[in-house]
Amino acid sequence: MNVMSPMGKVEQAMIEAFDKTAASLPGDAAARAVRRNAIGRFATLGLPSRRVEEWRYTDLKARIRTALAPVAHTKTAKAPNLDQLLGKALAHLPAVTFVFVNGRLQSWDHGPLVADDPRFEIEALHKALSSGTIKLDAGSDDVPSLLNAAFASDGAVVRVTEGAKLDVPVHLVFVSNLSAPAAVTVRNHIEIGRGARCTIIESHVATGAAERQTNAMTDIRVGDTAEVDHIKLLAEGPSATHLGTWNVTLGRDCIYRPVHLTESPGLARNQIFVAFDGEGATFDLKAATLVRGKEHADTTLVIDHKVPRCISREQYKCVLDGEAHAVFQGKVIVRPDAQKTDGKQMAQALMLSETAEFSSKPELEIYADDVVCGHGSTSTELNEDLLFYLRARGIPGDDAKRLLTEAFIAEPIEAIADEAIREALRGRIVAWLTSGKAENP
Amino acid sequence: MMLEIKNLHVTVDGKAILKGLSLTVPKGEVHAIMGPNGSGKSTLGYALAGRGGYEVTEGEILWNGESLLEMAPEERAAQGVFLAFQYPLEIPGVATMTFLRTALNAVRKQRGQEEHSTPAFMKLVKAKAKALGVKEEMLKRPLNVGFSGGEKKRMEILQMAILEPSLCVLDETDSGLDIDAVRIVSEGVNALRSKERTMLVITHYQRLLDYIVPDKVHVLAMGRIQRSGGKELAVELEQSGYAEFTGWAA
Repeated sequence: MNVMSPMGKVEQAMIEAFDKTAASLPGDAAARAVRRNAIGRFATLGLPSRRVEEWRYTDLKARIRTALAPVAHTKTAKAPNLDQLLGKALAHLPAVTFVFVNGRLQSWDHGPLVADDPRFEIEALHKALSSGTIKLDAGSDDVPSLLNAAFASDGAVVRVTEGAKLDVPVHLVFVSNLSAPAAVTVRNHIEIGRGARCTIIESHVATGAAERQTNAMTDIRVGDTAEVDHIKLLAEGPSATHLGTWNVTLGRDCIYRPVHLTESPGLARNQIFVAFDGEGATFDLKAATLVRGKEHADTTLVIDHKVPRCISREQYKCVLDGEAHAVFQGKVIVRPDAQKTDGKQMAQALMLSETAEFSSKPELEIYADDVVCGHGSTSTELNEDLLFYLRARGIPGDDAKRLLTEAFIAEPIEAIADEAIREALRGRIVAWLTSGKAENP
Repeated sequence: MMLEIKNLHVTVDGKAILKGLSLTVPKGEVHAIMGPNGSGKSTLGYALAGRGGYEVTEGEILWNGESLLEMAPEERAAQGVFLAFQYPLEIPGVATMTFLRTALNAVRKQRGQEEHSTPAFMKLVKAKAKALGVKEEMLKRPLNVGFSGGEKKRMEILQMAILEPSLCVLDETDSGLDIDAVRIVSEGVNALRSKERTMLVITHYQRLLDYIVPDKVHVLAMGRIQRSGGKELAVELEQSGYAEFTGWAA
């Protein structure tokens, strides 16, 4: 037993919560063993503090002061008002929509498709775990991943058939509408067949003032030559602590385009771990983060170029007001075999206040010699000359600022090819910018 | 609708640029301000529009008898002041149409007028754009991004035509333009000349004034109006240059 135990009260409470709920969590004997191992591993690590390099700017030990109990599942969870939570445009998107409420599948709608469409399969994780068709994997020593493996209650298992072209997106909606503070843990497994094309949207939203700790993981494998747009909206509100992890495995010559829109989390950590598994694949991330007040949003990437000829692109933008803190960490590893790697990374912050903080940490670890890798980071205020130009045309100062801020932060969203999704997310950005004054007097 | 500038002193970064400029432009007239580089021509334009960093230390600017100096740039725009920029700025991410609509609705609101409906606005912009040779494709692009020098200047005049200001200040509208572009832009400006609209045309060269024929010409040098005269003064300056004025005040 380690005498220098990293465990504090919060970790103890999390482990006790696990002991209480483990029996009710879905899964066969193998899954139960993985969960036990994961929580055991967590017990030796504890919540990471800023002394752990990867957590230097997001000190979970300092920030998570109470362990919320895993949400108890009841049949009576209220049907959420998706129009309100997502915005009408997103709520009414023609899509295959699966809605999870407080970590449990509640409703589904195949939209314009039929349930037995041969192009795809979708089932609830709790069933897949119980039948053993999905194996839990705790992964490495990443703490959010360990906690996710230990506590995951449900999520979606999506398989897109080889060569299939899905003409409508698959929209996974995760709603927290808790009446009391609680923790919600969801987990998705997505398998995109060779040559398939599709769009997956994950919307993480919440209602009510109850404090919530959400942990959401998505394990996605993109087959050879497939083309995937994967969008994540995070809008669980300032009373949420969100730990999000995407594990991405990319096959040969595939194109994977993730887009993140993060709005006003109390504390958010969006992690993306990317492994290039086949040559010639493209990873093209666009991320936009909006924070104000005392909010904290962290985007951390680890991109592992293991094989030759792959392309990675990351465009990260954030708007910060109040005393908010945004963090961008982008680690790119180019292994000795990964010749002809082409990597570019750019992180840009727009500071609307003097008290906001942006921490940007690019890391390149390059072990191959024939590669092109670059990164850049900027932090700016609104351009006074542009503001004057707009005001000279009669646009009042606040509106001019909003217009320029929108132009800055909407750029990553503009990359979405699907106009309905793009406009829905742009609408959310405009709503965020317009609602600013109320929360920041 | 008269512009009266009285003993205007303006400093930029602590440096005095305008040093007692006085000028009166009666309603409906077009006056040209000519002068050498560095004489304070652009500073005059910015001081009229209310740009930050252009500090008025003395004197006043009256428009229709009201002082502009206490007004924010957007309030001046609502009062009818329009500065056509020498170097129009590129605004990535803001579609030209969105910008035009936001600006027009903002000034109409401040002037107590109703906003245009979308179809009425589109019709208005398309008609004015066509008259100025602004392609519809340009209206869909972000404002001024990737536009040529001539296209940017035409876009300035298009904005002027749409916002219908009563005081137009044109800052070196001819700079960087070839002769065909000067003609197109000038035709656009001339189409806006009216008894209700006062114009101040700032230029280094007489060339522009062949197209936009002024009622009066003023020579600005060393921060003050050194001489005023009729349109023939511009021709005279083209031959003699500005040496006389810069030497005189040194």
